[in-house]
Amino acid sequence: MINTRPRGLDLLQRWEGNPALTVEDVPFRANTVFNGSPVVTEDGVYLLLRIEGQRGYSYFALARSQDGLHFTIDEKPVMLPANEGNFAIYEEKGIEDPRITVIDGVCYVMYTAVGGYGPRIALAKTHDYVNYERIALVSEPGNKDGILFPQKINGRYARLDRPIGLDRGSIWISYSPDLVNWGDSQVVITPRSGYWDEFRVGASVTPIETDQGWLEIYHGVKMTSAGPIYRIGVVLLDMEDPSQVIKRGDQPILSPREEYERIGDIGNVCFACGAVISDNGEMKIYYGAADTSICIAMCTLNQILKEGF
Amino acid sequence: MAVTMRSRFVKRHNQDIVYRWEGNPLINIYDLSFKCSNIHNAGTVFFKDEILLLITIEHLSGQCSIHLARQDANGYYQVEPNPFLSPSTESKYKQHESHGVSDARVTFLEGMFYIMYNAFGDHGYRLGLAKTGDFQSVERMGFISEPDTKAGALFPARIKGRYARLERPGHGSSIWITYSDDLVYWGSSEIVISPRDGFWDANRIGTGAPPIEIDEGWLVIYYGIKDTSAGPICRMGAVILDKQEPTNVIGRSNIPILSPRENYERIGDLSNIVFPTGAVTGSNGDLNIFYGASNSCICVGTSTFEQIIKNCIESQEEY
Repeated sequence: MINTRPRGLDLLQRWEGNPALTVEDVPFRANTVFNGSPVVTEDGVYLLLRIEGQRGYSYFALARSQDGLHFTIDEKPVMLPANEGNFAIYEEKGIEDPRITVIDGVCYVMYTAVGGYGPRIALAKTHDYVNYERIALVSEPGNKDGILFPQKINGRYARLDRPIGLDRGSIWISYSPDLVNWGDSQVVITPRSGYWDEFRVGASVTPIETDQGWLEIYHGVKMTSAGPIYRIGVVLLDMEDPSQVIKRGDQPILSPREEYERIGDIGNVCFACGAVISDNGEMKIYYGAADTSICIAMCTLNQILKEGF
Repeated sequence: MAVTMRSRFVKRHNQDIVYRWEGNPLINIYDLSFKCSNIHNAGTVFFKDEILLLITIEHLSGQCSIHLARQDANGYYQVEPNPFLSPSTESKYKQHESHGVSDARVTFLEGMFYIMYNAFGDHGYRLGLAKTGDFQSVERMGFISEPDTKAGALFPARIKGRYARLERPGHGSSIWITYSDDLVYWGSSEIVISPRDGFWDANRIGTGAPPIEIDEGWLVIYYGIKDTSAGPICRMGAVILDKQEPTNVIGRSNIPILSPRENYERIGDLSNIVFPTGAVTGSNGDLNIFYGASNSCICVGTSTFEQIIKNCIESQEEY
């Protein structure tokens, strides 16, 4: 099932069927499909997809799968940018990068609302993955990559996000009593000079609870003269105070190497958006490749905890 | 590569309104009898029952010149090694063409073939105009724009008695129209269409193929650019302008008609580019559009007028 390439380049192993979804699999006219957040349902694995339409803005569609590998996309998009109400002006240029978090049985989607004033983080919820109810815009402008933790921390909801201050895109954490009002923001990790993640970092995958702390699979960017290179890395955060870093991997666990990761609307991008872990610890990590397709890479939780740091 | 009417165009991607020719790229540098750095953008014209291409060649020195390509007996395009138009050495023109001449767009007007091209010199880009009757000799008529204007294309007929051109001034990155009584002195410039925030053509646009007269007005195939963190993506769109008042837009495609997807459109000296500079109607009535891909080769695609017009008028509901 997994790529038999000799180990050594990347900790994650690419699925041999990659890319898992391209625009050829979309049943309506679109430009690209990338960045999909998975959720395990009674009916198999669903992926909430970011699709960039031909007009140039992004929206969400749903893909369904029995095995978590082979997906079929619903006939119509499930969530389009708001065209009325207080969300409309902040979603004029689309909605991007959904991340699903299930808390106490409720499915929340944190996503980036893109409007004329810059990106903001927005929150919605769904009971059937087809209809979405917007809850609130939860950040100031200039913030993206928001992801809810799957449980309250010391009685408060918590999220990771990616504001930009002094041109540095770092991962922060913020807390809320009610999912609407947020505060107590603190920095978690910042870009590291001289490393593969020296330009920007952002949260990618809903934090995963492990016996060593919260595992966060994040994206790190290095800027080159030919443009950015997006890679996937890992960091472990304290369970009780996730602003405290327990350890952070020196190396990425997946880097663009295959043609489908190198060539596309934005070349040289591996951008994780979610992971599914089976009971035996096997992980499937879903990632957007070159902003043009969705791919899957595999690993076990143990391998990441042992070899990723 | 051969391109004749027997050639097949394939719908490789459901997403695109223009279908690619299955033999693309039509011409790349391996097809040439001389060395060069890259080849891009083909002005296109019907002349004596054949489709001639005026191609931009970037030489190894870095300068561009314009070369004629025509089909041989087997239908393969052969590019002439001697330039059709090369940077002028005449003192009058020299300083404005010292970096090269490129992106020829050909218009047949009142019995003469006019070639509008980008002259790149010490002070930026200007539009140059030249004419030919036989595609053997060519005569420069002069520079017709201020600096930093490019992507000029002459209308194939007078509008309200005056010559007219579309162009892309540097400031504002929009398509403008300018008029002339004599092809030498130009004025009455007005804006036609601009980049659209949040769209695939959000950052820069410019005329691709010279305007084509259709029942509904002037059909203009244009290029639209969206800037990304990894550089620009250049796609192809269409707009219909009013016949008498071309600043009145009758319809503009909300979505591109062709986007870079194939490797030859994704990988090259400038990646993710499909750049139209000419279009001719085929014997079956379809529109064949010639475009440069990734600034490294020449390609051709086709669509019906009906599809393109429908896309200009009725694409409001696309998401």
